Amino acid sequence: MTTLLATIRKELLELRRDRAGILVLLVMPMALVLIVSLVQDNVMQATGETPIRVLLLDFDGGFLGRAVEKELRADAGLELVSKRSGEITEEAARKAVVDGEYRFFILIAPGTGAALREQVRRRAEDSFVPASKPGKRAAPATVPGLTIHFDPAVQGAFRTAVVNSLRRVMLGIELREKGAALSDTIERMMRQGPGGGIPLPPGENAEKPPPSIRFELDTEPVLKLGEAADSGGRSPGRPTAAQQNVPAWALFGMFFIVVPVSGALIRERQSGTFRRLMTMPISLAGLLAGKVIAYVLVCTAQFVLMVAVGAFALPLLGTSGLVLGPEWPVVGIIALSAALAAACYGIMVGVLARSYEQASVFGAVSIVIAAALGGVMIPVYVMPRSMQAVSVVSPLAWGLNAFQEVFVREGTLGSVGPNLARLTLFSLATLSVAWWSLRKSRYGE
Amino acid sequence: MPSDGNVPDGSEPVRRGPTEAGAGDEILQVRRLVKVYRGAATPAVDGIDFAVRRGEIFGLLGPNGAGKTTVLSIICTLLRPTSGSVTLCSQDTRQSPARLRGLFGLAPQEIALYPSLTAWENLHYFGSLYGLSGRILRKRIEESLALVGLSDRGDARIDTFSGGMKRRANLAAAILHSPRILFLDEPTVGIDAQSRNLILENLRTLRNGGTTIVYTTHYMEEAETLCERVAIMDRGKIIADGSPRSLIAAVDGCSNLEETFLCLTGRHLRD
Repeated sequence: MTTLLATIRKELLELRRDRAGILVLLVMPMALVLIVSLVQDNVMQATGETPIRVLLLDFDGGFLGRAVEKELRADAGLELVSKRSGEITEEAARKAVVDGEYRFFILIAPGTGAALREQVRRRAEDSFVPASKPGKRAAPATVPGLTIHFDPAVQGAFRTAVVNSLRRVMLGIELREKGAALSDTIERMMRQGPGGGIPLPPGENAEKPPPSIRFELDTEPVLKLGEAADSGGRSPGRPTAAQQNVPAWALFGMFFIVVPVSGALIRERQSGTFRRLMTMPISLAGLLAGKVIAYVLVCTAQFVLMVAVGAFALPLLGTSGLVLGPEWPVVGIIALSAALAAACYGIMVGVLARSYEQASVFGAVSIVIAAALGGVMIPVYVMPRSMQAVSVVSPLAWGLNAFQEVFVREGTLGSVGPNLARLTLFSLATLSVAWWSLRKSRYGE
Repeated sequence: MPSDGNVPDGSEPVRRGPTEAGAGDEILQVRRLVKVYRGAATPAVDGIDFAVRRGEIFGLLGPNGAGKTTVLSIICTLLRPTSGSVTLCSQDTRQSPARLRGLFGLAPQEIALYPSLTAWENLHYFGSLYGLSGRILRKRIEESLALVGLSDRGDARIDTFSGGMKRRANLAAAILHSPRILFLDEPTVGIDAQSRNLILENLRTLRNGGTTIVYTTHYMEEAETLCERVAIMDRGKIIADGSPRSLIAAVDGCSNLEETFLCLTGRHLRD
């Protein structure tokens, strides 16, 4: 315990003396959060060219589902997986979206196609009225339509693009149906002779020439597109720029602690201090634990400052701020887990690297790579499939997924548990590598 | 060339002086110690034997690459020997290294201190790791700083110190816990005459207080005046040991330890 406390105190003292280092550690990530959140406030959009996996739940099983499927398959930007009733439930589809298998799913409720045709037929008939009796037509009815369920983490502009695209598809189908219905109605009216089967007012002679008929095209769409609150039915809103960027870049900043941590270890080895420490009656585990705890405290301070910037500074600059929500203790636990992973990884890099240059370059580059893979820079779902597969091994992806689970999907400790477990295992694994590597040089461990 | 003709071919070391003390009087015994680094063609330490008695200053001399630092590292439990044994304070270092680590102090060749911390903060940290705390720790820090002449600079950062002050602070960190035996690896390298003189005085003071000192140096004059006994290493072997005076006397035409050293180890460069 003495080793632990003495080491924590010493590490913090050293950090306090390195004012430039503290500035880099605390101010740079804050600037990063601020700038990226502002820059991306209006341009959050998926720009990748990788097809997005989409699930179509065709519970209608008729012409409508086939038509929607045909139109969506023609879109190179989408990779469509179509399921019928009995093959999957709506609940299972929601889970598949929450799990990241699909970015959204489209539900065609049973009977939608038949209801669409019925409504279109009625409207086609109502479109022809005697010129003498224009009257007031009944308000057009609508059918249940299609519902789209997004993963809440899907960014705003991308959602808009998807919804607009789907509306165009639906409008095309509806127009075809309307055209067919009109054609049928006109044909039937012509077959029925003068008057076209339209009831004539009392006193008018059916033998007279047919009355003039006015065609009023109903432009009101029959088929509506509904957007569900979210895929899991938990979150009321969409993620803001702050919700996307603050946790992402906070993680990025926290993991950059690998540079000072590994640098401090290299300096200890190069200066002979570590050699001196190894001749002292202390346990290696206690020494490493002291270093880890000191740097976890620093990372936590980083996170608190970055969250403060997101919550208080961003609104002052005219953009939406970060709202921690009722699950803020879970946010704290995620931050601690990520800080632990970052500190342990830094210790491992510092132990394995042979020089300060190796440690700083490898440490920094590996964090940038992990951040890119983890979805900090662009969302994972717009990456190529191979990169999406690799992203699951990035600690930043685990941290970011956990944060998004809380911020965007109102996740709980239970729902972020798997990602917390991954971060903890990563911490233990990296610290074990460091401990094992050091103990080789010191017998009696 | 040596007068007795059995040096410097390395096959038979010069033995001058009382090298075989009683076992109970020896604080450190090194027996048939061998260290072969992985991938090395020749051993860094090649079957050396020596013993150090309680309360003496023992010098381990040798040219660069002779194996001095490797021997110190093995004794200080930093390296595992390939074979052989080291007995420190009557305990085998391989059997109970953790227990032994509190009994000795090491001042490495490098300035093994945190440059951004003050001398006091450095000593407070190292003292805490030795299990000292509270008033005892503060007293030991004050005594150690006083011994090395840094009482009035305890609050200054190490990176503001001169080379000599850093060396003295390095020594203070090694004696903080009152070790029974002190290992010093080139404690006076690269410092001015005043600091060197102070450090040598400090070592005598420590020896007079009962601390055994084993140190390596390239300064033969220093070893000649300070050490009761020295061992000269070359290519991983001890090629001579004994009191400085007896070693000088054993080699014809040498009037001091430096000449004796060059006669025994040769004048060619060791890089």
